[in-house]
Amino acid sequence: MKVFRSHILICGGTGCHATGSVKVKQALAAELARQGLADEIKLVETGCNGFCAMGPIMVVYPDGIIYMMIQPEDVPELVEEHFLKGRPLERLLYKEPSTEETIPEMNEIPFFAHQEPRVLRNKGLIDPEIIDEYIARDGYAGMAKALTEMTSEEIIKEVLDSGIRGRGGAGFPTGLKWKFAAQSENDVKYVLCNADEGDPGAFMDRSVLEADPHAVLEGMIIAARAIGAHKGYIYCRAEYPLALRRLDIAINQAKEYGLLGENILDTGFDFDLEIYQGAGAFVCGEETALMTSIEGNRGMPRPRPPFPAVSGLWQKPSVLNNVETLASIGQIIAKGSEWFASVGNETSKGTKVFALTGDINNVGLVEVPMGTSLGTIVYDIGGGIPDGKKFKAAQLGGPSGGMIPVQHLNAPVDYESVAKLGAIMGSGGLIVMNEDMCPVDMARFFMDFCQDESCGKCTPCREGTKRMLEILTNICEGRGKEGDIETLMEMAEIIKDSALCGLGQTAPNPVLSTIRYFRDEYEEHIRDKHCSAGVCTTLFKSPCQNACPIGMDVPQYMALVRAKRFDDAYRVMMKTNPFPAICGRVCDHQCQFKCRRSTLDETLAIKFIKRFITDNATRPVINPVLTDRNEKIAVVGAGPAGLTAAKDLALRGYQVTVFEELPEPGGMTRYGIPSYRLPRNILAGEVDDIRALGVEIQCNTRVGRDISFEDVDKKYDYIYLAPGAHKSQRMRVDGEDIAGVFGGVEFLRDFNLNEDAWLKGEKSLGAKVAVIGGGNSAIDAARCAVRLGADVTILYRRTRQDMPAAEEEIIAAEHEGIKIEYFVAPKKIVGANGSVNGITCERMKAGDFDNSGRRRPVVIEGSEFTLDVDAVIAAIGQTPDLSFVPEGSDVSVNRWECFDLAEGSKSRTTSEKFFAGGDAVTGPWTAVGAIAAGHQAAEDIDSAIRAKNGESPWEAPAEEVIDIPFEIDEETEEQPQAAMPELDAAVRKTNFKEVELGYEIEEAIKEASRCLRCDAEV
Amino acid sequence: MDLEYNELLEEFTREQIKELDGIIEEHRGRAGGLIPVLERAQELLGFLPIPVQKRVGRELGIPFSHVYGVVTFYSFFTMQPRGKHTIRVCMGTACYVRGGKKIAENVEKLFGIKEGETTPDRMFTYETVRCLGACGLGPVVVVDEDIHGRVKPDKLKNILQQYS
Amino acid sequence: MAKLKIEDLKKIKERVQGETALRAGTRRVKVTVHMGTCGIAAGAREVMDSLMNEIEESGVTDVVVTTSGCMGLCSREPEVTVEILDQDPIIYEFMNQNKMRQVFKRHVLEGEIQTPFALAKTKGQS
Repeated sequence: MKVFRSHILICGGTGCHATGSVKVKQALAAELARQGLADEIKLVETGCNGFCAMGPIMVVYPDGIIYMMIQPEDVPELVEEHFLKGRPLERLLYKEPSTEETIPEMNEIPFFAHQEPRVLRNKGLIDPEIIDEYIARDGYAGMAKALTEMTSEEIIKEVLDSGIRGRGGAGFPTGLKWKFAAQSENDVKYVLCNADEGDPGAFMDRSVLEADPHAVLEGMIIAARAIGAHKGYIYCRAEYPLALRRLDIAINQAKEYGLLGENILDTGFDFDLEIYQGAGAFVCGEETALMTSIEGNRGMPRPRPPFPAVSGLWQKPSVLNNVETLASIGQIIAKGSEWFASVGNETSKGTKVFALTGDINNVGLVEVPMGTSLGTIVYDIGGGIPDGKKFKAAQLGGPSGGMIPVQHLNAPVDYESVAKLGAIMGSGGLIVMNEDMCPVDMARFFMDFCQDESCGKCTPCREGTKRMLEILTNICEGRGKEGDIETLMEMAEIIKDSALCGLGQTAPNPVLSTIRYFRDEYEEHIRDKHCSAGVCTTLFKSPCQNACPIGMDVPQYMALVRAKRFDDAYRVMMKTNPFPAICGRVCDHQCQFKCRRSTLDETLAIKFIKRFITDNATRPVINPVLTDRNEKIAVVGAGPAGLTAAKDLALRGYQVTVFEELPEPGGMTRYGIPSYRLPRNILAGEVDDIRALGVEIQCNTRVGRDISFEDVDKKYDYIYLAPGAHKSQRMRVDGEDIAGVFGGVEFLRDFNLNEDAWLKGEKSLGAKVAVIGGGNSAIDAARCAVRLGADVTILYRRTRQDMPAAEEEIIAAEHEGIKIEYFVAPKKIVGANGSVNGITCERMKAGDFDNSGRRRPVVIEGSEFTLDVDAVIAAIGQTPDLSFVPEGSDVSVNRWECFDLAEGSKSRTTSEKFFAGGDAVTGPWTAVGAIAAGHQAAEDIDSAIRAKNGESPWEAPAEEVIDIPFEIDEETEEQPQAAMPELDAAVRKTNFKEVELGYEIEEAIKEASRCLRCDAEV
Repeated sequence: MDLEYNELLEEFTREQIKELDGIIEEHRGRAGGLIPVLERAQELLGFLPIPVQKRVGRELGIPFSHVYGVVTFYSFFTMQPRGKHTIRVCMGTACYVRGGKKIAENVEKLFGIKEGETTPDRMFTYETVRCLGACGLGPVVVVDEDIHGRVKPDKLKNILQQYS
Repeated sequence: MAKLKIEDLKKIKERVQGETALRAGTRRVKVTVHMGTCGIAAGAREVMDSLMNEIEESGVTDVVVTTSGCMGLCSREPEVTVEILDQDPIIYEFMNQNKMRQVFKRHVLEGEIQTPFALAKTKGQS
């Protein structure tokens, strides 16, 4: 025997081949020879390692160190460092994305550590083209035992006892299938392996065939022995050339060794095996269709009964098993049924292999015990969702399966639980989808697939899938109508009940599943012709505009900036947004999360460009508008919602009065958002434009205190309630009422009302401040406290990824020296002499998943600790203060302290003349969300008035026509987003000067030119 | 007979036809031999026009109607000549959610052909496929035997320029 | 190739297992050959060869061989560290093929430290 001091196992699966593992292997061989190491180090090509997203991959033994994404250029350095100098080459090792920690050893990497390889026990450990390596790992031991020590009945009993169910999808007990076939009396029987893995997104079987083909052969021989068959076929897709090649090699080697053919292992048992190459028909994965295909016909299914166990291939008793099932058999026989059943749960035994794909960090092949929770697979093994996006659903079972949405991340993945949630286990394709997935489009995609692959033999499938596809396509393209959902559900039931085979019977599953969990999105497509995921392109011009709550036409003003027509760009923005200067600074820019540019390099800086326009263009002059309507309208609250509604109503000819409790208008943008983010003069300028229209704003006037609710009701015809959410939620801990404990918004309001007193030190937080919470107001409060000279620590009970605050705000806070402690929650506030001197906290750890898809924080017992602080700011959430609404009013307030809206209305309250919007309806939300609510309310109030008067609906005056240039780059060069110039952290933390300085003209033009013009119709 | 042979000669050489006959010979009399014969015939000839189907059917003793039925049923078989290179855009779910749709649109725009068609210069045949099982690399475009992973829609042109 | 019988399967298994054992991660002894430029110049390559031959001949499967760079004691190369599980590592200096064979037979296999060649005991080095 030849001993090597080290083995290099380089992955030769399809994925790694595609990323260049063959070239890497050649380079390694050459370099090892050059360094004289060829006799010391053995180079082995294995099957799929499973961590496909990181290919090309190699594992070095005995150390078990794994290298990833290796390029041929890396090889000389790698050999020099690892094999000569004996130290791992750091830059090619795995880096854990959440902790940045480098993990050299394969089994320490979370992706591998949480797995339990049984079917895949040999993956990456043996050369699949050398039968001896399989035998060395107890290969063919199960077969030897079955052929020499066991009767047919004993084999079947062992398989039955193990509880293994078909891994191909339906989950029928394998032992039972064998039993029926064994009982059928016939001289000729067949064992068939279904390797026609056609589910889009599934590649488990391919990987098993590539990494461990002998395991499948062994399983087939045992099956043959059990049922008394002497001939078998492996039906494998033509799309898997590597798997076909390795199978071919394996069969030849097994024949040479006498493990296939006549008189196997001298036991007198004969079994011969052939590969049958599929020719590209999804339906051939169905068992009777597969048999028809092997017979040389169009692969159409046959009605059952008779079942294949009685009359299958060429009318002979046949057993058809899936690759993964067969690959498990050898071990079940060798190690016993108890070993197999030792993992898994009550009804689903053993492990299951999944092809984990889609929007997930660690794409690859994973094997876990049955019953492992979906969240464990997606987050612990899969490493979560890339690019900071949110998990929306996992699709299980391909075109026959369904979705498991975010609220079921804790669900165990086993046959029964998955079925209860409306999906199926399927063959193991697990496709993770993020917030950019449109469920209607996904249903259409799968229906298109089924319709295309329907063999046409039975009418329900042939015609039914076509009709369903038509309806789904109509919905996706804006031609949906009321009743479509019901029709789809009705047709789905009919097809399920009447189709001939599994393909048809399961084809409606994705539709039913998406309707079950995402009916609101179907309705949105049908009623509003809107696709909030931004997928159904016929429903919008550009994804950014589609994502904007007020539909700002982003590509237009990008084009105008590019053409240096800044004044026109301003006018385009003003068409939909009364506050572009505010939004240019504080918008949460949903547009940027959908920007298509991000698929190339980085998202476009839409918000910064918006600000640039308002900084550099001439502000349009606003003239008073004519009041030609009799109805008088009151608005309560001068925040973005109230002022937007006031502006729109004024433009429609109404006399509008706005009541504001605080001394200045602006609402949260004035008293919540600090001036270093939104300078007061910028805000005042845009508010003044609203006044200039003729809107009266009465400040220092709280409804219910300075003017009674009844008076407002009497004096005005319609009232819009937009008081915002200005009350902090309480922490509900001891000591919350000690002096020095502030609510987040209360602190910010007090500071913004009494800036002088705070700055002069007449009011003070003290030297050390703890801020509780992870949202934007927690960050705002913390950054204000720093500017007041305090040493600030933010305490947050979950992880950084879970923080609702904007990423750029968190980074800015860190730059200003604010410490953020994660997994910490307050337990009690400690006081002395009537003021705060500490906060006792508990450490938390991640528990199971909540409905938002985040892990619930769970207290670690005995982890209490106390921080010395002089003040505590609790910014854990806000609620509206609706105490001004008198009891008994027909304006109803719900248990979240928000206004209830009338059924079917987007802005009317439960009273005919009161409308409401903004944070007081939604709970704390965004500025642009409030602006959208204001637009909606103005439209609804005006429509209500006109409908009541019997007038025709308002007709908007003809819009100013602004010619939009169309200049597009032929070639798109990769170029990251232009950075926003900022005040240095050390400078800015001592004052309230605006932190972001704005783009220079050249920068802005260059940035705007990055726009891909998705609005263009070519 | 001669007429049919002449028809074959319009597209193929005598050597090719001889090889085709060899393939048929290997499978003669074997149950279920039709599909393997067609697979190898297409590998040899590039496509399966009617005269090829007729020859296969007659030699194997299978009605032409049956051969035609099989050829048209399986997506692997084609009756049209193909381009020098085949571009296959994966429309499996994993690739689809990662931008496969956009890539398919760009190919159509670039060549002005629809799925299943060949460019007039017979350079490229464009197809979409259902999952190549290389989901780890999505979105995937396969040109001939080369798998291109993580393809950015705007970079498609650069990839295709390598083939001419 | 001759057709296999049951007992042949076992033979293949035993033979190949010896070759592939190091992928299983079981190890009792780790031998490090210091292969810096100085080490190779002083004959570390030959030392490595003889070590590999010894392992092959003895048929042991629980000895792991690795390399490392220069330890900074270039004047005493070639150097070899022998580390038996749960024991302190021993560094041998001025190694050659003969010494290596002796160290392998006596220390690695039988646990007897070959003090005359040893540089020093190092504590806690892994």
